Amino acid sequence: MKEGFRQAMAWLHTWAGLIFGWLLFAIFLTGTMSYFKPEITRWSQPEVPVRALDLPLALSKAQDYLQRNAADAPSWFIEPPNERTPGITVGWRGGDGPRGFTRKTLDAETGEEIVTRQTRGGDFFYRFHFQLEMPYPWGRWLATFAALMMLVGLVTGIITHKKIFKEFFTFRPGKGQRSWLDGHNAIGVLALPFHLMISYSSLVIFMYMVMPAPILASYDNEQGYFNEVFGGRDSVKASGEKVALQPLPELYRQVLAQAPDARIIWLDVQRPGDRNAQVLFIPDGHERVAVQRGAGWRFNGADGSLAWSARPETLAGTISGGFYGLHMASFAGPLLRWLYFFFGLAGTAVIGTGLVMWLGKRQLKHAKSGTQPFELRLVEVLNIASMSGLILGVAGFFWANRLLPVALEGRAQWEVNAFFAVWLASLVHAVLRPGRRAWGEQLALAALSWAALPLLNALTTGQGLNRSIAAGDWAMAGFDLTALGCGLLFAWTASKMLRQPVQAPKRAPKPAKAAPQPTREAEAS
Amino acid sequence: MKSKAAGLPLSYRLAVTSRCLAALLGGYVLAAMVGVLLSQWLPLSRAEAVQIGMMSSFLFYLGAFIWAFATHSAWRAWLGILLPSLALAAINGLTYWMSKA
Amino acid sequence: MLAIALFAFAGCAALCLAMDKHFTELLGRKPRPEQLLGLRVVGWLLLALALTAAVDHRGWAVGLAELFGMLMAGLCLWVFALPYRPRWLLGLALLSLVLAPFSALGLI
Repeated sequence: MKEGFRQAMAWLHTWAGLIFGWLLFAIFLTGTMSYFKPEITRWSQPEVPVRALDLPLALSKAQDYLQRNAADAPSWFIEPPNERTPGITVGWRGGDGPRGFTRKTLDAETGEEIVTRQTRGGDFFYRFHFQLEMPYPWGRWLATFAALMMLVGLVTGIITHKKIFKEFFTFRPGKGQRSWLDGHNAIGVLALPFHLMISYSSLVIFMYMVMPAPILASYDNEQGYFNEVFGGRDSVKASGEKVALQPLPELYRQVLAQAPDARIIWLDVQRPGDRNAQVLFIPDGHERVAVQRGAGWRFNGADGSLAWSARPETLAGTISGGFYGLHMASFAGPLLRWLYFFFGLAGTAVIGTGLVMWLGKRQLKHAKSGTQPFELRLVEVLNIASMSGLILGVAGFFWANRLLPVALEGRAQWEVNAFFAVWLASLVHAVLRPGRRAWGEQLALAALSWAALPLLNALTTGQGLNRSIAAGDWAMAGFDLTALGCGLLFAWTASKMLRQPVQAPKRAPKPAKAAPQPTREAEAS
Repeated sequence: MKSKAAGLPLSYRLAVTSRCLAALLGGYVLAAMVGVLLSQWLPLSRAEAVQIGMMSSFLFYLGAFIWAFATHSAWRAWLGILLPSLALAAINGLTYWMSKA
Repeated sequence: MLAIALFAFAGCAALCLAMDKHFTELLGRKPRPEQLLGLRVVGWLLLALALTAAVDHRGWAVGLAELFGMLMAGLCLWVFALPYRPRWLLGLALLSLVLAPFSALGLI
């Protein structure tokens, strides 16, 4: 390690990138999908009918339902429908649900309970990207640490990239290893603000968990900190005196009178039917970047008097809320959200191209001898399984969603099992097949399984593209179209991999390694 | 680029491991100490100072990583991370003790 | 948002052309230093206009987010399409330059 600074950083970039690349690829891919979490959930629950959006109607139906079925519950919640989520979700503390909570999906027009297939939908991928389906809190710790490693990778990459300004606009396809490097650098540098923001904001989001020292040094316990920052949830005490809850549409009208642009994403009702009832309308905060947790319109449920409540905004709170908001992109309209999706895929591609280059460069050194040392074979298998394998796993989840019987006990877990089972199978496949063929075969299967999703959807639910586009169900149609598009993309990459390969592996040494190595240009694929 | 051949000396491997530990463990301690320092000393409300402290700490963790691998030797990696950490720990300890007094 | 995208794209194109290597490749002749400087000035000016449009549209916070989003998207489009369709991109850049003021004034 006696070389210069840049070389040391190149070393760190390469090794941190490799060790955490496989995990980061999965985090980035599932995180990117999460920008369309409601759409994925909607696709996963086709039984929910799409209705014309009428929030006051939906709220009154929800209130009726809850009044009939959960009048004695200490608290209710209502998630109203919107353009991306067609049904009403209601829930209450009590009943037979898991962990003491019961949730139901209601038709937004009739208020009837809809029996949907049990699924975790988009929420599975959302939670996976920061919890990795690992027990609490280990998944979060690992995912957050991976985010730190991503930052290390980004910063060391910037330091290593000698010609970052000179080659800012440079991309030279068709030149084998050089092209891979150009591509890696280009999507890294051109979308650098996004990559830096998304990685750093991940740390901020869980900072209270992974960096508690400042909290513990200033507060007797963590709850004190949370109360000061987010406003304590003072638990509402029941008075025992029964007073009918104000009609929620009326309260909603009051909210709109104060803020005509408000979009309500959540209602929280404490002690419904009691004199001390509290109704909290939580906005999505789409008009601002910084998320204001704890903000909302608070009504006394019995007499309808209104108080806006939010902690007074502090600069630090706005900064941390700002990072949170930038990460979650709730403020983004449809176009900007697609851009987020695109940049998330770019981040995924930065990692993927890096992994491919790491291996390719070293494979080239062993090309003459014809044998591959175990470590390289290991990396090759892990590369294939963590990239094309993961893509197959995701498809497996959606195939399971459509094929598993609707009434199957525990089917939500079975869908998740299908995801992992397919992913694992792809690992086995990668072990058994030679590298390039494994890539080609898995990508070809990915192309088929993704492109066929719209067809599968149409055959199993009757809500294929012909129906969903005509009905204006853009969540359903959008998912199908995107799946089709992905399938085509995978087909193209599969065709590249399945073509007769050149004798030497197609990658040449990375010139960024300042060690004096000749840049041998090998044939492009 | 360091070759992956099996012929890497043990001393090299130990040095790399040492730097990794310095970065991972030492870096965390350094970050935490900076975070605590900022949260105690910034002229802001308590919650604000704590938030700024936590947010800033990660930058120092990142810095520790860079230092641990950029500096000449594994020993310097540790020294460069532990010495500031100890100094900050001392200041933080004193501040904490005095605020409780 | 269209105005932001148009100004940003035109600005990126100008800044790219402000580099000797790219100017020569794309326009087929050797640039004079004043031309490169001029392009650089125009490029940054266009980006400043994009910033103005963004902040004007939705304030500083959301505006900056939109600006960065459009800028990064425009850069990606430019850089990745450049090896394949340089003329299309140059045409698109010119079109963006012409349409941008109209879009900013709300006429498109």
